[in-house]
Amino acid sequence: MDEFSTADIVVNLLLAVRWTLVLTAVAFAGGGGVGLAVLIARIDRRPWLSRAAKAYIGLFQGTPLLLQLFVMFFGLPLLGLEIEPWMAATLGLTFYASAYLAEIWRGGVEALPKGQWEAAASLGLHYVTRLRLVILPQALRLTLPPAVGFLVQLVKATAVTSIIGFTELMKTADAINNATFEPFTVYGMVAVIYFALCFPLTTYARHLEGAPSR
Amino acid sequence: MFRLKNKALAAVTITALMSLGSATAWADGLADIRKAGVLKVGVFEDFPPFSSVGGDMSLKGYDIDVAHALADALKVKLDLVGVTGQNRIPYLTGHRVDVLMSVGKNAEREKVIAFTQAYAPYYIAVIGPKAMAVKEAADLAGKSIAVNRGTLEDTSLTAAAPKSADIRRFDNYSAVIQAFLSGQTQLMVVGNDVGAQVLAKRTDIAPEQKFQLLSSPDHLAVDKGEPALTTALDDAIGAMSKDGALDKISQKWLGKRLDPKDLVDQ
Amino acid sequence: MSGLDFGWLPGAAGDLARGVTTTMMLIVVVTAFGTVLSVAGAAARRSRSRLLRQAVASYVEVIRNTPFLVQLFFIFFGLPSLGLRLGNVVAAVIAMTLNMAAYGIEVVRAGLDAVPRGQWEGGTALGLSRYRVFVSVVLPQALRVIFPALSSQIIIIMLESAVVSQIAVRDLTYEADMLQARTFRAFETYLVVTLIYLGLATLMRRAMQAGAYRWILGGRP
Repeated sequence: MDEFSTADIVVNLLLAVRWTLVLTAVAFAGGGGVGLAVLIARIDRRPWLSRAAKAYIGLFQGTPLLLQLFVMFFGLPLLGLEIEPWMAATLGLTFYASAYLAEIWRGGVEALPKGQWEAAASLGLHYVTRLRLVILPQALRLTLPPAVGFLVQLVKATAVTSIIGFTELMKTADAINNATFEPFTVYGMVAVIYFALCFPLTTYARHLEGAPSR
Repeated sequence: MFRLKNKALAAVTITALMSLGSATAWADGLADIRKAGVLKVGVFEDFPPFSSVGGDMSLKGYDIDVAHALADALKVKLDLVGVTGQNRIPYLTGHRVDVLMSVGKNAEREKVIAFTQAYAPYYIAVIGPKAMAVKEAADLAGKSIAVNRGTLEDTSLTAAAPKSADIRRFDNYSAVIQAFLSGQTQLMVVGNDVGAQVLAKRTDIAPEQKFQLLSSPDHLAVDKGEPALTTALDDAIGAMSKDGALDKISQKWLGKRLDPKDLVDQ
Repeated sequence: MSGLDFGWLPGAAGDLARGVTTTMMLIVVVTAFGTVLSVAGAAARRSRSRLLRQAVASYVEVIRNTPFLVQLFFIFFGLPSLGLRLGNVVAAVIAMTLNMAAYGIEVVRAGLDAVPRGQWEGGTALGLSRYRVFVSVVLPQALRVIFPALSSQIIIIMLESAVVSQIAVRDLTYEADMLQARTFRAFETYLVVTLIYLGLATLMRRAMQAGAYRWILGGRP
């Protein structure tokens, strides 16, 4: 077995950050897309559609992410897919993100004055056009601070995917730890790296909150 | 930023579609492996000296050398897939991997998966600090013991230990070894060769092997519906033990010659 | 893959019930410690000592900007190198409590900020000590703001607690891991346990809502 120098540990951890970042980016983008669809269903006037979207959000916000990932992971073969950590991690975090983003954006839609809907309607705009041109852009802008705040939550959530075997920062740390037997150093460094990723985002979210855009 | 996300998303979608296609045909595993030119082997990533990562993060060990030899015997490329005790059987039955290394044989498992002949000796041993007097299973009473859950170590320890033993089950070997080394548990149950690696590294705690719970040689595990693949791999192991290849690997990683007696299930 | 099989479920009821009990006990203990720490931290954030204020602020930032799993492993596997060895349940309770309080402090602070300054001045004018005013005048009013946010935080920490199974705490997820190793029905096992968590979260939310109306907000929902 090769020895790890401190430099090896740092380099290998930093290389693994790539996968943490890729996973976060894909889940945030994918979650944004799915989340928009869930949001549109959630604010629909047909009760069955709205209720289904509410149940979807409740399911992902009311169960542990680890269990969502396990169900996704072991359930992939039922969908005819190969059982594969990165696939389960990507799909799992995308659904997870979609539920949270839909709920954040719903808050934005409800915070808009009723007049916005009425004004848009009086212009003779179709429901979909009203959503697309008037309501959603404002709601998304209004909820930028909590959305960035959720991005921090998502970066942290990627660590849980190590448990289903996706090789990101935390999984790499576990492997290195097992070869070096230096958990204090290894997990200490990992904590510092996560902090370096998250703290700027947290600060940015706070900055946005302080100066809300209209 | 936005373009990058789009690309990543496209990559995910394409790979998802590709794996959808490949999952459709699983008539004969051996023929598929030959056609694809790749043998997918499930190995632990935290299981020295059988398989663990080195300074360059690549896997090495007894299992890895055997896996390379198997791929050579089938004249295909080797694809190593990292597994844990928890996910490896679903990996096999879900065809994520073609074969698993380091699987101990028991009746429960034989209902679900097929085994080849054994390729490596494996003793399940209780390991603890020199200062602690533990000679047999009864001495485990009241002691905290770390073990990898869902493995044969777990089953044999649970069967042998008295009720008052505090068995702490972790998710992987890494956590088991770490829990023992950091003093979170008084003892651990792992393979004696896995233990030997730890013993060599930690002269400060001076851990030693207390006693063996069970000899459980390592087999290759194959999905039950793949008799052709099972036979091909079994033949490959047979050839390796005849021509001395296994013996060489044993001397390299375990530091001793391979004794055929050690490959017999109890 | 063959069809779904839930035949193992009746035989697993005992194991699942034990897991639920452990998870709920963790939550009760963490809620108690976490609430106390949140209030203490929020008070410290208003303290006149700059050092104390900054220390609490840094603690909040460190916890909020690192993953719970990393904190848990650092406490359980890492701290023994410093000679601080905590059992797995204690490590889990500490990690969960530190987490809950890091969010709880901000919640309590927001609640306190919602109480008009005049209430403080009125209290001290009556000759009450700052501590008395805080406990008897400000805190009860602040609770109306705090309670809903803090109860969501408790549910979030309950859901996060699933990862303590990784340090061999025998919670609900740990029981699920054990069951699937025995039944080889991983998907069905985790599906059932996910739904149990959903049920627990729903029950807790309802119970806390009812409690809020009964004791804090007054009247019926």
